[in-house]
Amino acid sequence: MAGEMLLTDDFLRQLINVGEVDILVGLPTHNNAKTIEPIIRAIQAGILKCFPRERAVIINPDGGSQDGTPELVIKASIDDVWSASKVYTLRTLHSISTQYGRTPEPGSALRTILAAVDLLRAKACVVISPHSTTIEPDWLQLLAKPVYHDTFDLVAPIYRRPKFEGVLMRSLLYPMTRTIYGYRLREPYASEFALSGRLATDFLNSESWDDEWGRIGPEIRLTVAALTGKYRVCQAFLGAKAPPGRGAGDLVAAMRRTVGALFSSLDGHYPLWSTITGSEPVHTLGAQTEVALEPARVNRKQLRDMFVTGVGQLEPVFRSILSASTLSELQRLAALDLSEFTYPADVWAKTVFEFAASYHKSVINRDHIIQALVPLYRGKTLSLLQENRDGSPEEMEKSVESLCGEFERLKPYLLEVWANGK
Amino acid sequence: MPLKREPGWYKEAIIYQVHVRTFVDSNGDGIGDFQGLSQRLDYVQELGVNAIWLMPFFPSPLRDDGYDISDYRSVHPNYGSLEDFKTFLANAHERGIRVIIEMVANHTSDQHPWFQESRSSQDNPKRDWYVWSDTDTKYRGTRIIFLDTEMSNWAWDPISKSYYWHRFFSHQPDLNYDNPAVREELWNVMKFWLELGVDGFRLDAVPYLIEREGTNCENLPETHDVIKQLRRRVDEQFPGTMLLAEANQWPADLRSYFGEGDEFHMAFHFPLMPRMFMGLRLEDRKPITEILQQTPGIPPSCQWCLFLRNHDELTLEMVTDMERDYMYDIYASDKTMRLNLGIRRRLAPLLDNDRRRIELMNGMLMSLPGTPIIYYGDEIGMGDNVHLGDRNGVRTPMQWSGGWNGGFSAADPEALYSPPILNPVYGYQAVNVLSQKRTEHSLLSWMKHILRIRRSTPVFGSGSIEFLHPANHRVLAYVRQLGKEAILVVNNLSSAAQSVELDLRAYKGNILIEMFGRNIFPRISDLPYLLTMGPYQFFWFRLRRI
Amino acid sequence: MREMIITELTQAFQQMVRTIAHYLPRLVVMLVIAFVGWVIAYLLKLLARSILRLSRFSRLSENAGATRLLNQAALPSSTELVSRFVFWIAWIGFILLGVSVLGIAGLQEYISRFFLFLPRLCVALVILFFGFLAASFFSRAALLGAVNANFRSSRLLSVSIRVIISIFALSMVLEVLGVAEETMLIAFGTAFGAIMLGLAIAFGLGGKDLAREFLEKRVSTGRKEEKEEKEEKEDELSPL
Repeated sequence: MAGEMLLTDDFLRQLINVGEVDILVGLPTHNNAKTIEPIIRAIQAGILKCFPRERAVIINPDGGSQDGTPELVIKASIDDVWSASKVYTLRTLHSISTQYGRTPEPGSALRTILAAVDLLRAKACVVISPHSTTIEPDWLQLLAKPVYHDTFDLVAPIYRRPKFEGVLMRSLLYPMTRTIYGYRLREPYASEFALSGRLATDFLNSESWDDEWGRIGPEIRLTVAALTGKYRVCQAFLGAKAPPGRGAGDLVAAMRRTVGALFSSLDGHYPLWSTITGSEPVHTLGAQTEVALEPARVNRKQLRDMFVTGVGQLEPVFRSILSASTLSELQRLAALDLSEFTYPADVWAKTVFEFAASYHKSVINRDHIIQALVPLYRGKTLSLLQENRDGSPEEMEKSVESLCGEFERLKPYLLEVWANGK
Repeated sequence: MPLKREPGWYKEAIIYQVHVRTFVDSNGDGIGDFQGLSQRLDYVQELGVNAIWLMPFFPSPLRDDGYDISDYRSVHPNYGSLEDFKTFLANAHERGIRVIIEMVANHTSDQHPWFQESRSSQDNPKRDWYVWSDTDTKYRGTRIIFLDTEMSNWAWDPISKSYYWHRFFSHQPDLNYDNPAVREELWNVMKFWLELGVDGFRLDAVPYLIEREGTNCENLPETHDVIKQLRRRVDEQFPGTMLLAEANQWPADLRSYFGEGDEFHMAFHFPLMPRMFMGLRLEDRKPITEILQQTPGIPPSCQWCLFLRNHDELTLEMVTDMERDYMYDIYASDKTMRLNLGIRRRLAPLLDNDRRRIELMNGMLMSLPGTPIIYYGDEIGMGDNVHLGDRNGVRTPMQWSGGWNGGFSAADPEALYSPPILNPVYGYQAVNVLSQKRTEHSLLSWMKHILRIRRSTPVFGSGSIEFLHPANHRVLAYVRQLGKEAILVVNNLSSAAQSVELDLRAYKGNILIEMFGRNIFPRISDLPYLLTMGPYQFFWFRLRRI
Repeated sequence: MREMIITELTQAFQQMVRTIAHYLPRLVVMLVIAFVGWVIAYLLKLLARSILRLSRFSRLSENAGATRLLNQAALPSSTELVSRFVFWIAWIGFILLGVSVLGIAGLQEYISRFFLFLPRLCVALVILFFGFLAASFFSRAALLGAVNANFRSSRLLSVSIRVIISIFALSMVLEVLGVAEETMLIAFGTAFGAIMLGLAIAFGLGGKDLAREFLEKRVSTGRKEEKEEKEEKEDELSPL
């Protein structure tokens, strides 16, 4: 990127016309024309309802849409030429779009948004995912208010989800982030969040963008930056999370984006996180968590097959990553029947820790390490499905809590494998 | 010697709104009068206006600042005699200044002999001159205007034991315009003043003349009939007389008061004024352009009357609830500043006494399509006194000098009709005509300058308007055009410097001449015309093809 | 007669002495060269070792799977191996330099051939090393990809990719060394085919969703019920 301009001249001109704002809503898109309209309407309604007097703008970094998504976003502008609708607003509401590249890239999208936040001196920035079909106008207030009125720097969301959605979040990202950085932040990887102008500016100027994870998984980096810096973080309960779109099930990509970014963040912050023990709660607005008890129909046998195949086939790879004892434990698990299959919390915690340490040491190609974790995660998912088949929300919550407890208890083990060989 | 009544004179007029009582006191009784006003006509002329609008000066118990008239054919003794008025009128005309007076047609004072007769018995011949009823349940759909003081539009009359109708204060019974005798009498009153030589009337509270069950009793067709009849008579007998409607209504409702050019000549554009203040505070042109785009076209002989402030509160009736809340919070954070649905403050305090903002607002007032009205004292940036009741806070004595009573009166300060403004910021010692006359850069000098330009530029009075929509929404830009002459107006509503790109391709080849300094700006090409504007800055450019 | 013998002997002796006198300095020079060469080679070895350590060569070779091979062959570590190699090459070079000083006819040609061969040997070794590296990397990438795509014979795929790339690397090495050139054509053919196979598999893996979608669309009308049944079994769980 050296020497290359992040913002195009045209986008810069649009920003000049927008001028200083109070609230900036970022909506990164890529071919979302089919679903984006209700989301834009909700954003617009949210701004008009919750921040009618504030200067607001919707910024749309687009990753090369071919279906006219940016045009739909631009249409949401309310200016003085616009008179068709009966919506009464005090102000002009700008809605502008820029194409940052030909292919979608979360890092460039977020970076464009943050650059706009910085240039327009926005006090609060809300980022909304183009897949959030369950969005309500109130989300704008829930996310932006703590930043705009209460000096928080980062507002992470909490969602209501079906029982077995978000397993990666519950079984890896949340416990791991919590253990490492000492804060009980439920969604370290958020598709909707709000941040302050201060955090945006600082993060924009940080070095987090330079590596691959800054490009593909900036959200985790942002969370980590907020948790490790002197920032005030809170979380807000939004409501139901949108069901995943087609292709969201690409586990490997999801893990690269999240686990990869999280693991890579550990390198630089070692002096900080190595001294943290236990964890403290994060200020939460609204419900802590909610689980919708919708039955999930999952092919358990296939999950188990993939775990077993993974453990068997990837053995040479695992030898480089895992300790002998963990590997043999996994091999024992792989031999279990489906009915009695379980992936104990301590083994899972050790697995994750050893992966993190190996990742740190780059024992093999880092991306291969993340890929090698995928079959094991499948095993953990299966284990969770088995254990909580008839579980009530409280039991689900309890099991997450005990998993986190196990992670925190075993943190010294992480420090040990981090420092030594395997 | 009446000034020749040229048709359409009001289109090029700049009106100075003044109350005799407040302007200058010639006889030392603490109350302004016509002799004093006559003496200060030189000042008015120098300022550069060419019309005066006098607020009611008729005999009255003065319970509503003269809008409760008890005799339509005379002058209140406080202000002098009818002879004094005639002298004033002649002096004004001599200076080319036209005089517009008030015609409070909707109601009288309850002290008016007509009402006294009407209430005296149920079968008095004047009984039908007012709106009487045995119940207070008629015309239920009618809103109450003075929410802060009145509970109902009906008041009980203990003498004739029935209810009378009043849209304003209960001491202001509404005349019954369904009665032809009342209409005839109104015309006779107007004729009386027209024969003296006045140039126009401002008709007060026009929408409320007629009442009908099942309506909101506003803007009824019968009301328009009354007006059409008046206009016809005026045109026949006193051509060139201007009728100005005071109707606080949405533009679409206001439009009907112009008729087909056969009702009023002018009407106040009430919704625009609060939106100018709003646009300035929001730093967003949207409220202003929006309301002007909603404003329907009017017959060519008609004209809008624009104002920033007047003797009433800054009315917020013609805004949405959201806008009203915003205006209250921004411009009247102190609840004592609010009255009815409005804000009772003068221009300078509303704008934090910020010279740049005062100039910008005046610049817009002078350049938007319509005839501007300047409320007395606003040309020097007078302040207000929110601690005086009702709207008296914006009706304090004119500040002429830093001397005794601000040069308003030789009376004891205690004897003045109203205490003058004394505080260190807006008091007459700080803000007065004399000191501002002596400095070239005073607000007064600046006002004279802009009025001179405005007067010499007929485009502003009669030209068309076309809005430019630059992407920078803080900049309000429009082109006024009349025949070959075109003027580009660019206003920066923001407190920060702005750059703006104007699409002026339609005027390609013209050069721009800035009208205040007469400097030349580059020729317009196919490229967007880039201007950089300082905080609250505005430009008037004459477009010339050379 | 005796004198003749003495004369002959004396002559022979003198000849010998002359020859020795002639060769002795060269011998000494050769020995000196050999000794200096040893010292320089030793220094080079030390230098190579520290450079390799600094550049984390061992991890590279471990990544490439070379370490495991060496371990299995009970050979010293890769760093040690390379530095020893440097030492021997350098010393042998010096010794041969010394020998050439002796001026023994016929030997010269071999020596110069050796020096001509030396760069090629180095290139070959480098190719071999990177070949193993690439083989290991790509075979692991394929293995992981295949496992995560639930591909049945992922191990086989992985191994075949390793073998193919190794063959390719080896054939390049042989080509460079100029040995068995006639086998090159065959080896190259094999390697080319292998690459094509690899690409085909890679595209197959990448495009399988596309292909499935395509097929599903094609047959969906006929097999709607069946499809629904299948979907009922498999809810796609979102990890996030």
